[in-house]
Amino acid sequence: MSLVSLHDVGFTYAYADRPALREVTLEIEPGLLYGVVGANGSGKSTLCSVLRGVIPHFHPGELTGAASIHGTDLLDWDPGELSRSVGYVFQNPFTQISGIKETVFEEIALGLENLRTDPAEIVERVLEVIDRVGIRHLMTKNPNELSGGQRQLVAFAAIVAMDADFVVIDEPTSQLDPETSEKVFSIIAGLKERGTSIVLVEHKIDLMAEYADRLIVMSRGRVLEEGPTREVLVSPSLDEAEVLRPEVTDLALALERRGDPLPRVPITRAEARELLAPRLEEAPDAHRTH
Amino acid sequence: MPIELTDARFAYPDGTLAVDGVTFTIGDGERVAIVGQNGAGKTTTVKMMNGLLKPTSGGVTVDGADISGRTTASVARDVGYVFQNPDDQIFGSDVQGELEYMPRYHRWDEAKRVERVRRAALMAGIGNFMDLNPNDLPFAIKKFVAIGAILVGECRYVILDEPTAGLDRRGLRLLGRILDQLREEGITVITITHDMRFVAETFDRVIAMAQRRVIADGTVEEVFARDDVVERAKLKRPEISQLARDLGLDAGAVRFDDVLGLLPAGRG
Amino acid sequence: MTTTPTTPAAPAGLTPEEQAFVARLRAPITSGNWLRDLNPINTFVLVACLAVVAFALPGFVPSLAVCLAYVVLAALAGVGRRFASTFAKLFLVVGGILFALRAVFLDAGERLLVLGPFTVSTGGLLQALEFSLLVMALCGALTLFFTMTPMKNLMLALEARGVRPTVTYVILASFQAITDLGKSSTTVMNAQRSRGIETEGSLLTRLRSFGPILAPVFLTAMNQTEERALSLDARAFSYSKKHTQLSTLRAVPAGEVALVALAVALATAAVIGRFVL
Repeated sequence: MSLVSLHDVGFTYAYADRPALREVTLEIEPGLLYGVVGANGSGKSTLCSVLRGVIPHFHPGELTGAASIHGTDLLDWDPGELSRSVGYVFQNPFTQISGIKETVFEEIALGLENLRTDPAEIVERVLEVIDRVGIRHLMTKNPNELSGGQRQLVAFAAIVAMDADFVVIDEPTSQLDPETSEKVFSIIAGLKERGTSIVLVEHKIDLMAEYADRLIVMSRGRVLEEGPTREVLVSPSLDEAEVLRPEVTDLALALERRGDPLPRVPITRAEARELLAPRLEEAPDAHRTH
Repeated sequence: MPIELTDARFAYPDGTLAVDGVTFTIGDGERVAIVGQNGAGKTTTVKMMNGLLKPTSGGVTVDGADISGRTTASVARDVGYVFQNPDDQIFGSDVQGELEYMPRYHRWDEAKRVERVRRAALMAGIGNFMDLNPNDLPFAIKKFVAIGAILVGECRYVILDEPTAGLDRRGLRLLGRILDQLREEGITVITITHDMRFVAETFDRVIAMAQRRVIADGTVEEVFARDDVVERAKLKRPEISQLARDLGLDAGAVRFDDVLGLLPAGRG
Repeated sequence: MTTTPTTPAAPAGLTPEEQAFVARLRAPITSGNWLRDLNPINTFVLVACLAVVAFALPGFVPSLAVCLAYVVLAALAGVGRRFASTFAKLFLVVGGILFALRAVFLDAGERLLVLGPFTVSTGGLLQALEFSLLVMALCGALTLFFTMTPMKNLMLALEARGVRPTVTYVILASFQAITDLGKSSTTVMNAQRSRGIETEGSLLTRLRSFGPILAPVFLTAMNQTEERALSLDARAFSYSKKHTQLSTLRAVPAGEVALVALAVALATAAVIGRFVL
């Protein structure tokens, strides 16, 4: 059974004159990392809101078509139950801190308290998650005084602690520096390793190429394409959706246009190196100016 | 005339040192990217350039004149600063009003106001949104409204804080066009950014900061070629430049076209 | 092979400080000071009793005594300096103004000084003293309560009494919101100064900058409220009406109950003595 099944789903926010989603048909299979790419305003965040069930439970508007999560129609879900079943991390690190807890430890514990977890178990779980996410050094700090990047890591830890088997993540790194972005991605990779199903919206296409199993390409509220990452990254739908490719993929495509194609089109740097190294060995000194 | 920082230090009232003596000169029409980890002192440094922060010691001159006696608002006529988050800046109930605010505030004559606003809207690509409420616009467009509101003024220096954050391909192209036009007009552009692809493709000069000091100042090629700087400032080279290094190509190859040009043809 | 430990083992690899921190979280909340460790509801009843006594007994002496009692209690609770500084400011500003107003307008007893519409008289002075000290006794009760009681403990006590988590959340978040609003207005002010809007200088200049600063601060706060609600929902806040608590208040000892009962009895006696008998 699919984790999420959307059939001909459309959504128009209240007071908006155009739909934010149109005719979206998607099956999300469990255990995979789905990357969502598309231009600003293409409907990525709205899709996340549907997958997470905050549409229609939180944002008013008109939802059409059929959407189900774990086989249950979205409208039949109890919002509280849904919040336990689907984790959610989003862009703004500053609003993802509850504002009512004095230490990072207690901040992470909040979700577990809400889920009525036994206090002794909360302590064990929080300690485990703090190490998994690598923020032990922040444990006793006041979350309201942390930097944006640190807060985002705490927000992740808080959601990881709740242990949902499906997590929706909307542009988690757009306000972070490269180092923290990489930490966030290693957390996501850790979740994936444990079998968590993930839907991730992210502009950093190099990281998508490395981590996503499948890509969903969105444009003007529609899904243009959905498929294995490698196939989608060379597909013309990316151009139509105004989405950048990984630079190494662009490089291979440029070589192709030059009449000089590589055996296959790489999507990660490691792969590009592997494909290009033999060529350079054949021409050992021509291009190493230093 | 340049912006000049001479051994500028800044410490917060509680004594926390944010910038520990930086010295550099940014000349007319230059494009400079200030890079480094969060907390390295980048934001404090640029805030000293437009008077938002007064150096605790050392000096800042704009066009050869010390700015320590001027208010931020007065320095802002020469040095514009586009904040990272447009929501911190935008308050008009329509885009037109947002762009006209500064000219009206400074009581420019109408012909000049109309012309500057028209030009700024065109440059920022927001001509189609002039009647709309900026707060109903998507984030990326709000960003260009914020940029437009600064372009209206007659600054000769523009500081952009993380301009590419949250922009898609179309937004990046538009930003590129704006920077090109500013260059043609001889306006100096200074940016703080984590986006190294943007730095490599767009900027001439890189100032790398770490631990509250400048640790490297040179061309994009020079700075990215230094492993020690990349390590200490926690920079992430553009993928294409890292690939070139992995392959043992010229360490100065940082741009897409440079790397493509260095790759030999395959056999058959 | 191994026996199940009855107490959880210390987590591996924690520094001694971290272990102490975790141990503190596991144990009921204590500050190490018996007064501050009173159950917040009991603290409230105690200070309220003092205020009632000041209110019930005639003359300014009881009020003055109660005000002094606050200072002593605060000192015993280890928050003497913090309380004294706040209370002194209140005394000077609120108490001072109330005293002055009464003192120059009330005309009773022997006139000491007449200056246009103002009359200072012995009776007026006495009443002014009585009134302002009584108000200070009431203000002081609240000040002492909030100085002694961490918000977190108060909310725990309220939730234990059946107050919904939503309500305690709103109270706690409001305090944080004030801090955040301050930070946000600084950022906005900097952004506006950077585009040439003077925020320093004459009153007129400042007034002109009011709109450009207020609007973004307000809009940001509105947006943040919506996102905060979403992120609370992501933490399953609405999953259940009752939540478990990582931190707990300690059980109320019998002595504390007796103390509160005594205080209530005294306050009741004072009220009955004054208004009934």
